[in-house]
Amino acid sequence: MTAVGTDTGAGSGGDVPVRRVLDRGSAARDDHADEDTDAGPVVQPYRLHVDGGLRTVAGAWLGDSLLTVLRERLGITSVKDGCEQGRCGSCSVLLDGQLVAACATLAADAADARVTTLAGLPADGLAPAVRAAFLRHGAVQCGFCTPGFVVAVTDLLGRRPQADEDEIREALAGNICRCTGYGRIIAAVRAVQADITSAGAEP
Amino acid sequence: MTGTRAALHRPGTVGETVRILAEAGDAELLAGGTDLVPALRAGTRRPRAIVALRRVLELRARGACAQALTIGAGVTYAELADWACAPGLAATARAVGSAQIRNAGTVGGALGSANPRGDLLTFLTAAGTDVLTCSARRGPRTAPLDDFLAGAPGRGRGELVTAIRVPRPRGPQVFLKIGGRQAAYPALVSCALVVDRAGGRVSCAIGGVASTPLRASEAESFAAAEIDWTSPGRDEAAWASVARRFGALVADAARAAPAQLPEGPRDPAAYRWHAAGVLAGRALARCFAGGDQEHGAPAEGGARMPHLRSSGGDQGHGESAEGGARMPHLRSSGGDQGPGESTEGRGR
Ligand SMILES: Cc1cc2nc3c(=O)[nH]c(=O)nc-3n(C[C@H](O)[C@H](O)[C@H](O)COP(=O)(O)OP(=O)(O)OC[C@H]3O[C@@H](n4cnc5c(N)ncnc54)[C@H](O)[C@@H]3O)c2cc1C
Ligand code: FES
Ligand code: FES
Repeated sequence: MTAVGTDTGAGSGGDVPVRRVLDRGSAARDDHADEDTDAGPVVQPYRLHVDGGLRTVAGAWLGDSLLTVLRERLGITSVKDGCEQGRCGSCSVLLDGQLVAACATLAADAADARVTTLAGLPADGLAPAVRAAFLRHGAVQCGFCTPGFVVAVTDLLGRRPQADEDEIREALAGNICRCTGYGRIIAAVRAVQADITSAGAEP
Repeated sequence: MTGTRAALHRPGTVGETVRILAEAGDAELLAGGTDLVPALRAGTRRPRAIVALRRVLELRARGACAQALTIGAGVTYAELADWACAPGLAATARAVGSAQIRNAGTVGGALGSANPRGDLLTFLTAAGTDVLTCSARRGPRTAPLDDFLAGAPGRGRGELVTAIRVPRPRGPQVFLKIGGRQAAYPALVSCALVVDRAGGRVSCAIGGVASTPLRASEAESFAAAEIDWTSPGRDEAAWASVARRFGALVADAARAAPAQLPEGPRDPAAYRWHAAGVLAGRALARCFAGGDQEHGAPAEGGARMPHLRSSGGDQGHGESAEGGARMPHLRSSGGDQGPGESTEGRGR
């Protein structure tokens, strides 16, 4: 099984060596192989538009989630693997601009969609301010949840720059943080909003 | 790479989809993937082929005519959540999961999974819904939701849900649920109340008690008889007692329902029956008295981060939509997000 994905990579996290970062779930895969010796559920190679680059995914399993492919085949490790059940938000990415859980998205079905991870959030957009605010306000402790939060917060503030605290909390309810208690995260979001307002700039 | 028999099909039309389904035999449909993809990872489902619906744009349409709303199977919860024509559906959609789940999860996936705790199924049962399906063998068909769900376990693969048809709201509609953290877990018990002012009818459905959502017909007739449909002004104390009685009848219906779901340590059957009654009573009070007399002022909604809850534990959650709203007046508030509601604790 080759883990592939080096055809472009420029500016799309492709500088991370491609390797198997995690091999969780391999037991399930071996079961597949036993059951299905000469016809493993391998799909045809396909391409993914990730963070502005076109990446080829070959030798992937039919059932691979976008999380698995991004991390284990394309080496994009900012997309965290927390629960693989759509519950923790640590794998949050944008799929054609919509916030989704990568672990609940079939990778091969994302082939003609645009996938945006933390690294692909536009540098001239809100993401740098969100990242800076997270650091400034102590919204990062262990950091495991942070990439997912930054993607979710950037998405929220892009759509709803004036969101009040209730709306912010509701929008971020799918992202779990086990360290900060959320107060620091909310403070960071509020700070970004305050900056937007005082700059008088529309995001 | 030997044996690439396993395949992902990505058809572009309904016709192509049902043809592939018929040919592929053991194929699983894929919509948003929120149920299926985690199941694939966990190894609980192992289809040889997947037929993905993302490209079937005709499934993403929704429309309204004078009598009914038609919603394509590919419409997501997020799309329903801001649909002003359907305040009850919108409120139900907002009560589902997290932003990530609502952006991906679809109506067709909810019907395909037919989860007895699915929020949408509870609402659609109360609203009286038809399910439109299509298969290569039988062509397009329409069946009431009950029949569709009754056939669900043995439903042959090869049948595609194309859309649902729901009557237009003709009165207040409320959806309430209780359970763990909304963003992560399905509700334990949910309740939908749909009032048809023109027809003088109240419909109440309960999810999470039996293998499919149940209707509480005795409670429904009681409420319909109690309501003065011509001049519904009534004092709040009187409403509180009607709501209490209504809730008790719904709890009875829950207790009597066949095919009860297995009990868990956190949801013994008696708790679910009780919760069904409490939610139903509250829903009725919301619809008619504009408040929740028994339980004090509605508290904040449930889709929050967990630390907000002073209890720190399980939380109730729910939403109401007063589509065409409180009796006697107000059509205008339809679609507004009603305040969520906290339910009482787990103690019995
Ligand atoms: C973390 C999390 C939280 C959740 N919270 C809630 C909640 O609060 N309330 C709630 O009700 N649900 C909840 N869900 C469940 C889930 O989001 C819904 O059931 C959703 O509607 C499934 O839709 P999907 O498009 O993602 O389906 P998929 O996962 O793509 O498919 C689900 C099933 O339906 C079949 N299917 C899909 N489309 C069709 C079609 N057109 N015709 C026939 N069959 C079809 C598939 O073959 C599959 O078996 C939650 C899920 C997760 C992961
Ligand atoms: S890993 Fe995807 S939501 Fe937890
Ligand atoms: S900072 Fe550790 S999980 Fe959020």
